[in-house]
Amino acid sequence: MTFGTILGAWIAAFLTLAIFSYLYKDNPFYKIAEHLFVGVSAGYWASMFFWTQIQPNLFGRLWPASQYNADSLWYKLYNGLGVLTSSVFPAGGIQGHSDVHFIYLLPFALGVMMLLSVSSKLSWFARWGIAYTVGMAAGLRAYGFLNSNVIGQIQGSTIQLVGVDMPVFALLGNSYFNSIVILVGTIAGLAYFYFSKEHKGAFGKLTKIGIYFLMISFGASFGFAVMGRISLLIGRFVDLIGYSSAQYNHATIWVLIIMVIALGIGAFKDKNKGVKANG
Amino acid sequence: MKYLSDLILKLGKVDRRWIFVIIALVVLLPLFFPVGLPIRPTDSTQTAYNAIDSLEPESKVLVSFEYGPSTKPEIHPMTFAVLRHLFKNDQKVYITCLWPDGQFMAEDAVEQIMENEFQLTYGEDYVLLGFRPGNEAVVKGIVSNMRKLYTTDARGNLIDEIQMMEGVNKLADFDFIFSASAGYPGTVEWVQYGADPTGIPMSTGVTSIQVNEVMPYVQSGQVNGILAGMPGAAEYEALVGKPGIGTSGMDAQSIAHLVIVLFIVFGNVAFFIERQRQKKY
Repeated sequence: MTFGTILGAWIAAFLTLAIFSYLYKDNPFYKIAEHLFVGVSAGYWASMFFWTQIQPNLFGRLWPASQYNADSLWYKLYNGLGVLTSSVFPAGGIQGHSDVHFIYLLPFALGVMMLLSVSSKLSWFARWGIAYTVGMAAGLRAYGFLNSNVIGQIQGSTIQLVGVDMPVFALLGNSYFNSIVILVGTIAGLAYFYFSKEHKGAFGKLTKIGIYFLMISFGASFGFAVMGRISLLIGRFVDLIGYSSAQYNHATIWVLIIMVIALGIGAFKDKNKGVKANG
Repeated sequence: MKYLSDLILKLGKVDRRWIFVIIALVVLLPLFFPVGLPIRPTDSTQTAYNAIDSLEPESKVLVSFEYGPSTKPEIHPMTFAVLRHLFKNDQKVYITCLWPDGQFMAEDAVEQIMENEFQLTYGEDYVLLGFRPGNEAVVKGIVSNMRKLYTTDARGNLIDEIQMMEGVNKLADFDFIFSASAGYPGTVEWVQYGADPTGIPMSTGVTSIQVNEVMPYVQSGQVNGILAGMPGAAEYEALVGKPGIGTSGMDAQSIAHLVIVLFIVFGNVAFFIERQRQKKY
Protein backbone atom coordinates (compact mmCIF):
# COMPACT_ATOMS: atom_id res chain seq x y z
CA MET A 1 0.00 0.00 0.00
CA THR A 2 1.34 3.43 -0.93
CA PHE A 3 2.22 6.12 1.61
CA GLY A 4 -0.46 8.37 0.09
CA THR A 5 -3.21 5.79 0.69
CA ILE A 6 -2.14 5.27 4.32
CA LEU A 7 -1.94 9.03 4.92
CA GLY A 8 -5.40 9.42 3.36
CA ALA A 9 -6.77 6.79 5.74
CA TRP A 10 -5.27 8.60 8.76
CA ILE A 11 -6.76 11.92 7.62
CA ALA A 12 -10.17 10.27 6.97
CA ALA A 13 -10.11 8.57 10.39
CA PHE A 14 -9.12 11.84 12.12
CA LEU A 15 -11.78 13.92 10.36
CA THR A 16 -14.55 11.35 10.99
CA LEU A 17 -13.72 11.02 14.70
CA ALA A 18 -13.28 14.79 14.98
CA ILE A 19 -16.83 15.32 13.68
CA PHE A 20 -18.18 12.58 15.97
CA SER A 21 -16.43 14.25 18.94
CA TYR A 22 -19.08 17.00 18.79
CA LEU A 23 -21.50 14.50 20.32
CA TYR A 24 -19.40 14.77 23.50
CA LYS A 25 -19.19 18.58 23.34
CA ASP A 26 -17.90 21.42 21.15
CA ASN A 27 -14.11 21.08 21.04
CA PRO A 28 -11.04 22.11 18.99
CA PHE A 29 -11.00 18.82 17.00
CA TYR A 30 -14.56 19.45 15.84
CA LYS A 31 -13.72 23.07 15.01
CA ILE A 32 -10.75 21.97 12.84
CA ALA A 33 -12.90 19.46 10.94
CA GLU A 34 -15.80 21.91 10.58
CA HIS A 35 -13.62 24.74 9.21
CA LEU A 36 -11.79 22.37 6.89
CA PHE A 37 -15.11 21.04 5.59
CA VAL A 38 -16.53 24.52 4.91
CA GLY A 39 -13.33 25.74 3.24
CA VAL A 40 -12.72 22.63 1.15
CA SER A 41 -16.39 22.41 0.09
CA ALA A 42 -16.48 26.05 -1.01
CA GLY A 43 -13.19 25.69 -2.89
CA TYR A 44 -14.14 22.36 -4.44
CA TRP A 45 -17.54 23.53 -5.69
CA ALA A 46 -16.20 26.88 -6.96
CA SER A 47 -13.46 25.18 -8.98
CA MET A 48 -15.77 22.35 -10.07
CA PHE A 49 -18.40 24.82 -11.26
CA PHE A 50 -15.84 26.89 -13.16
CA TRP A 51 -14.10 23.95 -14.86
CA THR A 52 -17.26 21.99 -15.69
CA GLN A 53 -19.64 24.84 -16.57
CA ILE A 54 -18.04 28.21 -17.30
CA GLN A 55 -14.82 27.16 -19.03
CA PRO A 56 -16.12 24.38 -21.35
CA ASN A 57 -19.75 25.51 -21.77
CA LEU A 58 -19.33 29.29 -22.00
CA PHE A 59 -15.77 30.05 -23.11
CA GLY A 60 -15.68 26.79 -25.09
CA ARG A 61 -18.68 27.90 -27.15
CA LEU A 62 -17.38 31.42 -27.67
CA TRP A 63 -13.86 30.41 -28.76
CA PRO A 64 -13.95 26.78 -30.04
CA ALA A 65 -10.66 25.31 -31.27
CA SER A 66 -12.32 24.11 -34.47
CA GLN A 67 -12.89 27.71 -35.67
CA TYR A 68 -9.53 29.07 -34.49
CA ASN A 69 -8.15 31.81 -36.71
CA ALA A 70 -5.26 33.79 -35.26
CA ASP A 71 -5.89 36.70 -37.68
CA SER A 72 -9.52 37.33 -36.70
CA LEU A 73 -10.23 40.07 -34.17
CA TRP A 74 -12.34 37.70 -32.08
CA TYR A 75 -9.49 35.23 -31.60
CA LYS A 76 -6.97 38.07 -31.11
CA LEU A 77 -9.06 39.02 -28.07
CA TYR A 78 -8.91 35.33 -27.04
CA ASN A 79 -5.13 35.26 -27.39
CA GLY A 80 -4.97 38.42 -25.27
CA LEU A 81 -6.95 36.65 -22.54
CA GLY A 82 -4.66 33.64 -22.99
CA VAL A 83 -1.70 35.81 -21.97
CA LEU A 84 -3.45 36.44 -18.64
CA THR A 85 -4.27 32.79 -18.00
CA SER A 86 -3.30 30.05 -20.43
CA SER A 87 -5.02 27.26 -18.47
CA VAL A 88 -8.47 28.86 -18.94
CA PHE A 89 -7.75 30.07 -22.48
CA PRO A 90 -5.28 27.52 -23.93
CA ALA A 91 -3.43 28.29 -27.16
CA GLY A 92 -5.42 27.42 -30.30
CA GLY A 93 -8.92 27.67 -28.76
CA ILE A 94 -10.97 25.45 -26.45
CA GLN A 95 -11.75 21.87 -27.51
CA GLY A 96 -15.26 20.43 -27.46
CA HIS A 97 -17.53 22.55 -29.68
CA SER A 98 -17.68 22.93 -33.45
CA ASP A 99 -19.11 26.44 -33.98
CA VAL A 100 -18.79 29.90 -32.46
CA HIS A 101 -22.05 30.70 -30.64
CA PHE A 102 -22.19 34.49 -30.17
CA ILE A 103 -25.58 34.08 -28.48
CA TYR A 104 -23.60 32.91 -25.43
CA LEU A 105 -22.39 36.50 -24.96
CA LEU A 106 -25.84 37.11 -23.48
CA PRO A 107 -25.50 34.67 -20.54
CA PHE A 108 -21.89 35.88 -20.18
CA ALA A 109 -23.16 39.46 -19.73
CA LEU A 110 -25.92 38.30 -17.37
CA GLY A 111 -23.34 36.39 -15.31
CA VAL A 112 -21.15 39.50 -15.03
CA MET A 113 -24.25 41.46 -13.97
CA MET A 114 -24.90 38.93 -11.19
CA LEU A 115 -21.35 39.50 -9.91
CA LEU A 116 -22.01 43.25 -9.75
CA SER A 117 -24.25 42.61 -6.74
CA VAL A 118 -21.11 43.10 -4.62
CA SER A 119 -21.15 46.82 -5.54
CA SER A 120 -23.75 48.90 -3.73
CA LYS A 121 -24.09 51.33 -6.66
CA LEU A 122 -24.30 48.72 -9.43
CA SER A 123 -26.12 45.94 -7.55
CA TRP A 124 -29.37 46.66 -9.43
CA PHE A 125 -27.75 45.04 -12.50
CA ALA A 126 -27.99 41.68 -10.69
CA ARG A 127 -31.79 41.80 -10.97
CA TRP A 128 -31.53 41.24 -14.71
CA GLY A 129 -29.60 38.01 -14.21
CA ILE A 130 -31.94 36.84 -11.47
CA ALA A 131 -35.01 37.69 -13.59
CA TYR A 132 -33.63 35.66 -16.50
CA THR A 133 -32.77 32.68 -14.28
CA VAL A 134 -36.19 32.66 -12.62
CA GLY A 135 -38.05 32.97 -15.93
CA MET A 136 -35.94 30.37 -17.71
CA ALA A 137 -36.17 27.86 -14.85
CA ALA A 138 -39.94 28.33 -14.56
CA GLY A 139 -40.41 27.81 -18.30
CA LEU A 140 -38.08 24.82 -18.46
CA ARG A 141 -39.72 23.07 -15.55
CA ALA A 142 -43.34 23.91 -16.34
CA TYR A 143 -43.71 21.25 -19.04
CA GLY A 144 -41.91 18.48 -17.15
CA PHE A 145 -43.82 19.24 -13.97
CA LEU A 146 -47.22 19.39 -15.65
CA ASN A 147 -46.60 16.22 -17.64
CA SER A 148 -45.12 14.03 -14.89
CA ASN A 149 -46.37 15.48 -11.62
CA VAL A 150 -49.87 16.63 -12.60
CA ILE A 151 -51.11 14.55 -15.54
CA GLY A 152 -49.06 11.44 -14.62
CA GLN A 153 -50.20 11.57 -11.01
CA ILE A 154 -53.87 12.13 -11.91
CA GLN A 155 -53.67 9.11 -14.21
CA GLY A 156 -51.94 7.11 -11.47
CA SER A 157 -54.63 7.85 -8.89
CA THR A 158 -57.61 6.96 -11.08
CA ILE A 159 -59.34 3.62 -10.56
CA GLN A 160 -60.38 1.40 -13.43
CA LEU A 161 -63.34 -0.49 -12.03
CA VAL A 162 -64.08 -2.86 -14.92
CA GLY A 163 -61.90 -5.08 -17.06
CA VAL A 164 -58.98 -5.18 -14.62
CA ASP A 165 -57.70 -8.38 -13.09
CA MET A 166 -56.82 -7.40 -9.53
CA PRO A 167 -57.89 -8.59 -6.09
CA VAL A 168 -60.42 -6.71 -3.97
CA PHE A 169 -58.01 -6.56 -1.03
CA ALA A 170 -54.24 -6.93 -0.78
CA LEU A 171 -51.84 -5.35 1.71
CA LEU A 172 -49.16 -4.87 -0.97
CA GLY A 173 -49.46 -4.27 -4.68
CA ASN A 174 -52.50 -3.44 -6.78
CA SER A 175 -55.96 -4.02 -5.34
CA TYR A 176 -59.29 -2.20 -5.42
CA PHE A 177 -58.89 -1.39 -1.73
CA ASN A 178 -55.42 0.17 -2.20
CA SER A 179 -56.61 2.14 -5.22
CA ILE A 180 -59.50 3.59 -3.19
CA VAL A 181 -57.13 4.46 -0.32
CA ILE A 182 -54.85 6.33 -2.77
CA LEU A 183 -57.82 8.12 -4.36
CA VAL A 184 -59.34 9.15 -1.01
CA GLY A 185 -55.90 10.17 0.35
CA THR A 186 -55.17 12.32 -2.71
CA ILE A 187 -58.54 14.10 -2.66
CA ALA A 188 -58.54 14.58 1.13
CA GLY A 189 -54.91 15.78 1.10
CA LEU A 190 -55.65 18.30 -1.65
CA ALA A 191 -58.82 19.44 0.14
CA TYR A 192 -56.76 20.30 3.23
CA PHE A 193 -54.84 22.87 1.15
CA TYR A 194 -58.04 24.47 -0.19
CA PHE A 195 -58.45 27.59 1.92
CA SER A 196 -61.22 29.40 0.01
CA LYS A 197 -63.84 27.50 2.01
CA GLU A 198 -63.91 27.24 5.80
CA HIS A 199 -62.93 23.78 7.08
CA LYS A 200 -66.30 23.06 8.69
CA GLY A 201 -69.06 20.43 8.40
CA ALA A 202 -68.61 17.67 5.79
CA PHE A 203 -65.74 19.56 4.15
CA GLY A 204 -64.06 19.91 7.54
CA LYS A 205 -64.31 16.14 8.06
CA LEU A 206 -62.75 15.54 4.66
CA THR A 207 -59.85 17.91 5.45
CA LYS A 208 -59.38 16.13 8.79
CA ILE A 209 -58.96 12.85 6.89
CA GLY A 210 -56.43 14.76 4.75
CA ILE A 211 -54.48 15.73 7.89
CA TYR A 212 -54.28 12.06 8.93
CA PHE A 213 -52.89 11.10 5.52
CA LEU A 214 -50.37 13.97 5.74
CA MET A 215 -49.33 12.86 9.24
CA ILE A 216 -48.76 9.30 7.99
CA SER A 217 -46.65 10.76 5.16
CA PHE A 218 -44.60 12.87 7.60
CA GLY A 219 -44.10 9.81 9.80
CA ALA A 220 -42.88 7.81 6.81
CA SER A 221 -40.52 10.68 5.89
CA PHE A 222 -39.13 10.72 9.42
CA GLY A 223 -38.65 6.95 9.37
CA PHE A 224 -36.83 7.11 6.04
CA ALA A 225 -34.69 10.04 7.29
CA VAL A 226 -33.63 7.98 10.33
CA MET A 227 -32.92 5.01 8.07
CA GLY A 228 -30.74 7.19 5.82
CA ARG A 229 -28.74 8.62 8.73
CA ILE A 230 -28.16 5.17 10.22
CA SER A 231 -26.99 3.96 6.78
CA LEU A 232 -24.46 6.80 6.63
CA LEU A 233 -23.32 6.00 10.17
CA ILE A 234 -22.85 2.35 9.15
CA GLY A 235 -20.81 3.55 6.16
CA ARG A 236 -18.49 5.61 8.37
CA PHE A 237 -18.14 2.75 10.88
CA VAL A 238 -17.31 0.29 8.10
CA ASP A 239 -14.54 2.65 6.90
CA LEU A 240 -13.26 3.23 10.45
CA ILE A 241 -13.14 -0.52 11.06
CA GLY A 242 -11.17 -0.90 7.81
CA TYR A 243 -8.72 1.85 8.83
CA SER A 244 -8.10 0.15 12.18
CA SER A 245 -6.36 -2.78 10.45
CA ALA A 246 -2.57 -3.32 10.40
CA GLN A 247 -2.55 -2.32 6.70
CA TYR A 248 -3.22 1.28 7.73
CA ASN A 249 -1.00 1.10 10.85
CA HIS A 250 -4.13 0.96 13.06
CA ALA A 251 -5.05 4.55 12.12
CA THR A 252 -8.50 4.56 13.80
CA ILE A 253 -7.25 3.14 17.10
CA TRP A 254 -4.35 5.58 17.42
CA VAL A 255 -6.40 8.62 16.43
CA LEU A 256 -9.18 7.58 18.85
CA ILE A 257 -6.71 7.10 21.75
CA ILE A 258 -4.98 10.44 21.11
CA MET A 259 -8.31 12.24 20.81
CA VAL A 260 -9.75 10.71 23.99
CA ILE A 261 -6.58 11.60 25.96
CA ALA A 262 -6.58 15.17 24.61
CA LEU A 263 -10.29 15.65 25.38
CA GLY A 264 -9.76 14.09 28.83
CA ILE A 265 -6.90 16.51 29.61
CA GLY A 266 -9.05 19.39 28.33
CA ALA A 267 -11.98 18.33 30.55
CA PHE A 268 -9.63 17.96 33.58
CA LYS A 269 -8.18 21.45 33.03
CA ASP A 270 -11.65 22.95 32.62
CA LYS A 271 -12.71 21.32 35.89
CA ASN A 272 -9.65 22.72 37.72
CA LYS A 273 -10.32 26.18 36.28
CA GLY A 274 -13.89 25.96 37.55
CA VAL A 275 -12.73 24.91 41.04
CA LYS A 276 -10.19 27.77 41.18
CA ALA A 277 -12.74 30.30 39.96
CA ASN A 278 -15.25 29.13 42.59
CA GLY A 279 -12.54 29.02 45.32
CA MET B 1 -46.31 1.33 40.03
CA LYS B 2 -45.03 4.62 41.52
CA TYR B 3 -41.54 3.13 41.69
CA LEU B 4 -41.73 2.22 38.00
CA SER B 5 -42.96 5.66 36.93
CA ASP B 6 -40.26 7.32 39.10
CA LEU B 7 -37.65 5.12 37.40
CA ILE B 8 -38.97 6.02 33.93
CA LEU B 9 -38.89 9.74 34.80
CA LYS B 10 -35.35 9.42 36.21
CA LEU B 11 -34.16 7.60 33.09
CA GLY B 12 -35.94 10.20 30.95
CA LYS B 13 -33.61 12.84 32.39
CA VAL B 14 -30.43 10.88 31.60
CA ASP B 15 -27.62 12.74 29.77
CA ARG B 16 -28.30 12.57 26.03
CA ARG B 17 -24.68 11.45 25.45
CA TRP B 18 -25.61 8.05 26.89
CA ILE B 19 -28.15 7.72 24.09
CA PHE B 20 -25.40 8.47 21.54
CA VAL B 21 -23.21 5.77 23.13
CA ILE B 22 -26.05 3.23 23.00
CA ILE B 23 -26.80 4.03 19.32
CA ALA B 24 -23.08 3.74 18.47
CA LEU B 25 -22.90 0.36 20.21
CA VAL B 26 -26.03 -1.07 18.58
CA VAL B 27 -24.70 -0.04 15.16
CA LEU B 28 -21.13 -1.18 15.81
CA LEU B 29 -21.70 -4.54 17.52
CA PRO B 30 -23.71 -6.19 14.70
CA LEU B 31 -20.94 -5.19 12.28
CA PHE B 32 -18.49 -7.26 14.36
CA PHE B 33 -20.96 -10.01 15.29
CA PRO B 34 -23.54 -10.39 12.46
CA VAL B 35 -26.88 -11.83 13.57
CA GLY B 36 -28.03 -12.74 10.06
CA LEU B 37 -31.58 -11.37 10.24
CA PRO B 38 -33.66 -12.49 7.24
CA ILE B 39 -33.93 -10.16 4.25
CA ARG B 40 -37.17 -10.36 2.27
CA PRO B 41 -37.55 -8.27 -0.88
CA THR B 42 -40.33 -5.70 -0.73
CA ASP B 43 -42.81 -5.30 -3.55
CA SER B 44 -41.03 -2.23 -4.96
CA THR B 45 -37.61 -3.92 -5.01
CA GLN B 46 -39.10 -7.03 -6.63
CA THR B 47 -40.75 -4.85 -9.31
CA ALA B 48 -37.40 -3.20 -10.11
CA TYR B 49 -35.70 -6.61 -10.24
CA ASN B 50 -38.41 -8.06 -12.51
CA ALA B 51 -38.22 -5.05 -14.86
CA ILE B 52 -34.46 -5.48 -15.31
CA ASP B 53 -34.67 -9.26 -15.41
CA SER B 54 -37.26 -9.21 -18.20
CA LEU B 55 -34.98 -7.31 -20.59
CA GLU B 56 -33.82 -9.23 -23.66
CA PRO B 57 -30.08 -10.09 -23.69
CA GLU B 58 -27.89 -7.36 -25.24
CA SER B 59 -30.47 -4.67 -24.41
CA LYS B 60 -29.08 -1.15 -24.19
CA VAL B 61 -29.31 0.05 -20.59
CA LEU B 62 -28.45 3.58 -19.54
CA VAL B 63 -27.20 3.70 -15.95
CA SER B 64 -26.89 7.21 -14.53
CA PHE B 65 -24.74 7.98 -11.48
CA GLU B 66 -26.15 10.88 -9.48
CA TYR B 67 -24.51 10.54 -6.11
CA GLY B 68 -21.22 11.27 -4.40
CA PRO B 69 -19.09 10.14 -1.45
CA SER B 70 -21.55 11.55 1.11
CA THR B 71 -24.27 9.09 0.04
CA LYS B 72 -21.97 6.27 -1.05
CA PRO B 73 -22.98 3.87 1.79
CA GLU B 74 -26.59 3.92 0.59
CA ILE B 75 -26.32 4.03 -3.20
CA HIS B 76 -23.05 2.29 -4.05
CA PRO B 77 -24.17 -1.19 -2.89
CA MET B 78 -27.37 -1.02 -4.95
CA THR B 79 -25.49 0.18 -8.04
CA PHE B 80 -23.09 -2.76 -7.69
CA ALA B 81 -26.00 -5.19 -7.34
CA VAL B 82 -27.83 -3.76 -10.37
CA LEU B 83 -24.65 -3.84 -12.50
CA ARG B 84 -24.05 -7.47 -11.48
CA HIS B 85 -27.61 -8.31 -12.51
CA LEU B 86 -27.24 -6.51 -15.85
CA PHE B 87 -23.96 -8.21 -16.78
CA LYS B 88 -25.19 -11.60 -15.60
CA ASN B 89 -27.95 -11.18 -18.22
CA ASP B 90 -25.51 -9.98 -20.94
CA GLN B 91 -26.82 -6.43 -21.18
CA LYS B 92 -24.93 -3.49 -22.69
CA VAL B 93 -24.38 -0.73 -20.17
CA TYR B 94 -23.96 2.99 -20.95
CA ILE B 95 -22.91 5.07 -17.96
CA THR B 96 -23.72 8.77 -17.64
CA CYS B 97 -23.21 11.07 -14.65
CA LEU B 98 -25.33 14.12 -13.81
CA TRP B 99 -23.16 14.84 -10.77
CA PRO B 100 -19.42 15.58 -11.07
CA ASP B 101 -18.71 13.28 -8.08
CA GLY B 102 -20.80 10.63 -9.82
CA GLN B 103 -17.93 10.06 -12.21
CA PHE B 104 -15.63 9.01 -9.31
CA MET B 105 -18.31 6.60 -8.14
CA ALA B 106 -18.73 5.27 -11.68
CA GLU B 107 -14.95 4.81 -12.08
CA ASP B 108 -14.94 2.79 -8.84
CA ALA B 109 -17.84 0.62 -10.06
CA VAL B 110 -16.12 0.09 -13.42
CA GLU B 111 -12.92 -1.06 -11.70
CA GLN B 112 -14.60 -3.37 -9.20
CA ILE B 113 -17.46 -4.83 -11.25
CA MET B 114 -16.59 -4.55 -14.94
CA GLU B 115 -12.82 -5.02 -14.77
CA ASN B 116 -12.13 -7.17 -11.69
CA GLU B 117 -15.32 -9.24 -11.32
CA PHE B 118 -16.62 -9.73 -14.88
CA GLN B 119 -13.48 -8.91 -16.94
CA LEU B 120 -15.55 -7.14 -19.59
CA THR B 121 -14.32 -5.30 -22.67
CA TYR B 122 -14.56 -1.53 -22.67
CA GLY B 123 -16.47 -0.20 -25.67
CA GLU B 124 -18.10 -3.57 -26.37
CA ASP B 125 -19.86 -4.44 -23.11
CA TYR B 126 -19.91 -1.08 -21.35
CA VAL B 127 -18.96 2.51 -21.92
CA LEU B 128 -18.35 5.33 -19.46
CA LEU B 129 -19.72 8.47 -21.11
CA GLY B 130 -18.99 10.47 -17.98
CA PHE B 131 -20.16 13.72 -16.48
CA ARG B 132 -21.66 16.59 -18.43
CA PRO B 133 -22.67 19.84 -16.73
CA GLY B 134 -26.17 21.23 -17.13
CA ASN B 135 -28.42 19.19 -14.79
CA GLU B 136 -31.82 18.59 -16.45
CA ALA B 137 -30.51 20.20 -19.66
CA VAL B 138 -28.22 17.14 -19.98
CA VAL B 139 -31.24 14.82 -19.77
CA LYS B 140 -33.00 16.91 -22.41
CA GLY B 141 -29.82 16.79 -24.52
CA ILE B 142 -29.69 12.98 -24.30
CA VAL B 143 -33.39 12.85 -25.25
CA SER B 144 -32.92 14.97 -28.39
CA ASN B 145 -29.39 14.18 -29.63
CA MET B 146 -26.77 12.74 -27.31
CA ARG B 147 -24.06 12.95 -30.02
CA LYS B 148 -24.11 16.74 -29.62
CA LEU B 149 -23.61 16.37 -25.91
CA TYR B 150 -21.04 13.58 -25.97
CA THR B 151 -18.38 13.86 -28.65
CA THR B 152 -15.90 11.92 -26.48
CA ASP B 153 -16.32 9.49 -23.57
CA ALA B 154 -14.83 9.93 -20.08
CA ARG B 155 -11.54 8.39 -21.29
CA GLY B 156 -11.16 10.76 -24.23
CA ASN B 157 -12.16 8.23 -26.94
CA LEU B 158 -14.19 9.62 -29.83
CA ILE B 159 -17.82 8.48 -29.50
CA ASP B 160 -17.96 7.67 -33.24
CA GLU B 161 -15.12 5.15 -32.77
CA ILE B 162 -16.77 3.24 -29.90
CA GLN B 163 -18.31 0.00 -31.19
CA MET B 164 -21.32 -0.14 -28.85
CA MET B 165 -22.27 3.48 -29.64
CA GLU B 166 -23.25 2.46 -33.16
CA GLY B 167 -26.92 3.31 -33.69
CA VAL B 168 -27.18 5.05 -30.33
CA ASN B 169 -28.07 8.68 -30.95
CA LYS B 170 -30.80 9.58 -28.49
CA LEU B 171 -32.60 8.33 -25.42
CA ALA B 172 -35.24 6.54 -27.51
CA ASP B 173 -32.47 4.17 -28.72
CA PHE B 174 -32.12 2.73 -25.21
CA ASP B 175 -34.24 -0.07 -23.80
CA PHE B 176 -34.07 0.84 -20.14
CA ILE B 177 -32.90 3.60 -17.77
CA PHE B 178 -31.62 3.05 -14.24
CA SER B 179 -30.98 6.15 -12.17
CA ALA B 180 -28.85 5.80 -9.03
CA SER B 181 -29.79 9.05 -7.39
CA ALA B 182 -29.10 10.97 -4.20
CA GLY B 183 -30.91 14.21 -5.02
CA TYR B 184 -31.04 16.95 -7.64
CA PRO B 185 -30.48 16.39 -10.51
CA GLY B 186 -31.55 12.78 -10.37
CA THR B 187 -34.52 10.45 -10.58
CA VAL B 188 -37.16 13.19 -10.70
CA GLU B 189 -35.41 14.87 -13.67
CA TRP B 190 -35.07 11.52 -15.48
CA VAL B 191 -38.81 10.93 -15.02
CA GLN B 192 -39.86 14.43 -16.05
CA TYR B 193 -37.53 14.98 -19.01
CA GLY B 194 -36.46 11.46 -19.98
CA ALA B 195 -38.76 8.53 -19.26
CA ASP B 196 -42.19 10.24 -19.42
CA PRO B 197 -41.71 12.10 -22.74
CA THR B 198 -40.05 9.12 -24.50
CA GLY B 199 -41.85 6.21 -22.86
CA ILE B 200 -38.57 4.39 -22.13
CA PRO B 201 -39.09 2.25 -19.00
CA MET B 202 -37.02 3.25 -16.03
CA SER B 203 -36.23 2.15 -12.52
CA THR B 204 -34.30 3.79 -9.74
CA GLY B 205 -32.29 3.39 -6.58
CA VAL B 206 -32.44 6.33 -4.19
CA THR B 207 -31.38 7.43 -0.71
CA SER B 208 -33.90 6.72 2.05
CA ILE B 209 -34.70 10.40 2.44
CA GLN B 210 -35.80 10.63 -1.20
CA VAL B 211 -38.17 7.66 -1.13
CA ASN B 212 -41.29 9.69 -0.25
CA GLU B 213 -40.53 12.09 -3.10
CA VAL B 214 -40.10 9.35 -5.72
CA MET B 215 -42.71 6.86 -4.46
CA PRO B 216 -45.68 8.61 -6.17
CA TYR B 217 -43.99 7.93 -9.54
CA VAL B 218 -43.69 4.25 -8.58
CA GLN B 219 -47.34 4.03 -7.48
CA SER B 220 -48.50 5.58 -10.74
CA GLY B 221 -46.33 3.23 -12.82
CA GLN B 222 -44.08 6.01 -14.19
CA VAL B 223 -41.11 4.26 -12.51
CA ASN B 224 -40.74 0.47 -12.38
CA GLY B 225 -40.01 -0.18 -8.71
CA ILE B 226 -37.58 1.55 -6.42
CA LEU B 227 -34.58 0.46 -4.36
CA ALA B 228 -35.04 2.38 -1.12
CA GLY B 229 -31.75 3.14 0.60
CA MET B 230 -29.56 0.51 2.20
CA PRO B 231 -32.45 -1.96 2.78
CA GLY B 232 -33.30 -1.72 -0.92
CA ALA B 233 -29.68 -2.53 -1.76
CA ALA B 234 -29.69 -5.51 0.63
CA GLU B 235 -32.93 -6.82 -0.89
CA TYR B 236 -31.55 -6.52 -4.42
CA GLU B 237 -28.33 -8.26 -3.34
CA ALA B 238 -30.49 -11.10 -1.99
CA LEU B 239 -32.39 -11.34 -5.29
CA VAL B 240 -29.18 -11.32 -7.34
CA GLY B 241 -27.71 -13.90 -4.96
CA LYS B 242 -24.53 -12.05 -4.10
CA PRO B 243 -24.49 -10.50 -0.60
CA GLY B 244 -22.50 -7.29 -0.33
CA ILE B 245 -22.12 -4.18 1.84
CA GLY B 246 -25.90 -3.64 1.83
CA THR B 247 -26.56 -7.05 3.37
CA SER B 248 -23.80 -6.75 5.98
CA GLY B 249 -25.20 -3.42 7.16
CA MET B 250 -28.78 -4.61 7.56
CA ASP B 251 -28.35 -6.23 11.00
CA ALA B 252 -27.03 -2.94 12.36
CA GLN B 253 -29.79 -1.04 10.55
CA SER B 254 -32.59 -3.23 11.93
CA ILE B 255 -31.32 -3.30 15.51
CA ALA B 256 -30.66 0.47 15.51
CA HIS B 257 -34.22 1.08 14.30
CA LEU B 258 -35.62 -1.13 17.02
CA VAL B 259 -33.66 0.77 19.69
CA ILE B 260 -34.76 4.16 18.26
CA VAL B 261 -38.41 3.03 18.30
CA LEU B 262 -37.97 1.95 21.94
CA PHE B 263 -36.46 5.35 22.77
CA ILE B 264 -39.41 7.11 21.14
CA VAL B 265 -41.93 4.96 23.06
CA PHE B 266 -39.97 5.45 26.28
CA GLY B 267 -39.72 9.22 25.76
CA ASN B 268 -43.47 9.47 25.15
CA VAL B 269 -44.31 7.42 28.26
CA ALA B 270 -42.04 9.70 30.35
CA PHE B 271 -43.70 12.77 28.80
CA PHE B 272 -47.23 11.57 29.64
CA ILE B 273 -46.30 10.56 33.20
CA GLU B 274 -44.77 13.99 33.80
CA ARG B 275 -47.79 15.78 32.30
CA GLN B 276 -50.17 13.75 34.44
CA ARG B 277 -48.21 14.59 37.59
CA GLN B 278 -48.14 18.28 36.72
CA LYS B 279 -51.94 18.21 36.30
CA LYS B 280 -52.31 16.48 39.67
CA TYR B 281 -50.29 19.04 41.63
